[in-house]
Amino acid sequence: MASIKYDHVWKRFGDFAALKDLNLDIADQEFLVLVGPSGCGKTTALRCLAGLEEITEGNIMIGDRVVNDVPPKDRDIAMVFQSYALYPHMSVYDNMAFGLKLRKTPRAEIDARVKEAAEMLGIGQLLDRKPKALSGGQRQRVALGRAIVRHPSVFLMDEPLSNLDAKLRVQTRAEISKLHQRLKTTFIYVTHDQTEAMTMGTRIAVMRDGVLQQLDTPQTLYDHPANMFVAGFIGSPAMNFFEATLVRGDGKVLVDFGPFQLPVPPSRIDMIADHIGMPIFFGVRPEDIHDTHYVPRGVDDTARLMTMVNVVEPLGSEVYAYVENGGKEMVGRLDPRTSARTGQPFEVVIDMTKMHIFDRDTERALI
Amino acid sequence: MQQAKTLSARPARPARWLNRDRVIALLMISPSALAIAVFVYGFIAWTGYVSLTSWNSLATTSTFVGFDNYLSVFATGRFQTNIRNLIVFTAFFLLACLLIGLLLAVLVDSRIRFEGFFRSAYIFPMALSFIVTGVVWRWLFAPGNWPDDPTGINLLFKQLGLGFFQSAWITDTGVVPGWRVEGLRTRIGVPMAMIPVVVAAVWQMSGFVMAMYLAGLRGIPDEIKEAARVDGASEWQVFRTITLPLLQPITLSAVIILGHISLKIFDLIVTMTGGAPGNNTEVPGLYMYEITFKANKFAEGAAVAMVMLVVVALLVVPYLIYSRQTEVER
Repeated sequence: MASIKYDHVWKRFGDFAALKDLNLDIADQEFLVLVGPSGCGKTTALRCLAGLEEITEGNIMIGDRVVNDVPPKDRDIAMVFQSYALYPHMSVYDNMAFGLKLRKTPRAEIDARVKEAAEMLGIGQLLDRKPKALSGGQRQRVALGRAIVRHPSVFLMDEPLSNLDAKLRVQTRAEISKLHQRLKTTFIYVTHDQTEAMTMGTRIAVMRDGVLQQLDTPQTLYDHPANMFVAGFIGSPAMNFFEATLVRGDGKVLVDFGPFQLPVPPSRIDMIADHIGMPIFFGVRPEDIHDTHYVPRGVDDTARLMTMVNVVEPLGSEVYAYVENGGKEMVGRLDPRTSARTGQPFEVVIDMTKMHIFDRDTERALI
Repeated sequence: MQQAKTLSARPARPARWLNRDRVIALLMISPSALAIAVFVYGFIAWTGYVSLTSWNSLATTSTFVGFDNYLSVFATGRFQTNIRNLIVFTAFFLLACLLIGLLLAVLVDSRIRFEGFFRSAYIFPMALSFIVTGVVWRWLFAPGNWPDDPTGINLLFKQLGLGFFQSAWITDTGVVPGWRVEGLRTRIGVPMAMIPVVVAAVWQMSGFVMAMYLAGLRGIPDEIKEAARVDGASEWQVFRTITLPLLQPITLSAVIILGHISLKIFDLIVTMTGGAPGNNTEVPGLYMYEITFKANKFAEGAAVAMVMLVVVALLVVPYLIYSRQTEVER
């Protein structure tokens, strides 16, 4: 068990910087998820921690030890790869026992640990098989088992679920979370899937172009994204963004979209007072747009907007409606009983207490 | 509804085995099939038949003598020596080609500069004929009047001040250790003159083995090796426990390919030593040629040919069956 620290870490490949001054403090027993789009540096960050890439600048610490020059074998970590990277010429048992054999663990102990892990993962009956005789889900479990038997101080997982089908992915997601609770070890998990990140991580680090955008709990990332990138990345469907200007009128502060205006709730005015009269980005999540007839209790329904419905996507438990006013299109997650119909006018309520305002130049959140 | 009725009313034409596509396929394949049937399998059958007759002179005779030719060939000291030479040559040739080929492949695979140049340079000797290789290496291994007036490699050693490395090379008549075994008419051991021949053959073929191993090495996903490193393996352990076992199919293919070249070796030895000194570098392929076309013992020559066929088949056929099975599995 150990804490992890990335201290001003840079990783360059020639002229390209994959990690730019990365600073991360990961507590012991934490489940940290590194998330971001392809090429954002999340896998590089993980590989640097594993020792599979050398860092260009800075320090990486596991516990109290700087591990910059420590080879992977001496870092006391275990890693689950996206491709699982099982040894194709070895049986499941030998795959799992490999690391222990290299450490000259007594045979009886190897046997006990492999069987215990296999039991925990439900692959006890597969121990004699070769990886090619396993399904994707079974291979994934073997890869997990290979990591578990080592009792490492840190688990690294590089998109371990991306090769599974949707159903198995959801199931395994929960199992990995359970595993974390049971093993009480530090987990660092890389994914590009924000749902995985939100459901599994105790904290989430959102990355983009090698730069850490925000490190926080899932709920804080959702409620208070630090910038437009995080706001757009977390949540599905993604947040709606509009170019707008903050203006004063009728003794109120309004968000002026051009074709229409929406009032800023009095409680929020202080936060944006400096930007009145300035161009901003306005953001609202689809779940904060409602059908006027089905506004949840407690939601402020003063900000109403007449729109035209472009597309309606019923999902059973909810309806995605793509609505438009004056060329500004937005998607709303509506109550399934909604009367929105394609091509028909439709009035929506926008919960302005949940709005997000971003600086037009820096794209940083003002609210 | 109407249309569905019309469709279902039409009787399905029975599927014939010999349809138009099959006829065209058979027509296309038949010329080569016929040629192979006659010129390969027909002639093998003919050789097999001749080996069972008494046709051991210019006069064509076809008296059936059973396995007499085989027995008489195996009883000669010369053929026994040939077999010994062939075993020695094959063992050293295979071992050296595999080791050097693997070593070169690992070096080239380590992302060195000018990789393309080295790769081509190592493979290049394969573009030459064994005849050319034989001639060149005969010159190099001709000892000259050593130690004082040497030629070839001996001269090189002398000029480098490594005179003690000078040797008789292709003229060395020694057999080490040269044990005599009851019932055998040849000495058991390594004929020293065979060493230069092995060197020449390895020079020519190890680049090919390198190319095979290189393809194999490039086919091993990096992630598997990385997983082993994270699991606690040193670089040597990664090589020994992951890389080498995963190269096993390549080794098997290389053994089969080199093995059949080695068992049929003829041209290199003809040009390099001609089987000399004595019969110390002579192999069955050369012996078959000599007794068939110089001594006109056609039946005995055919018997040697059949022995060679069986030996090569013992190596190749299991491999063909194995690769067919793995193909089916895929």
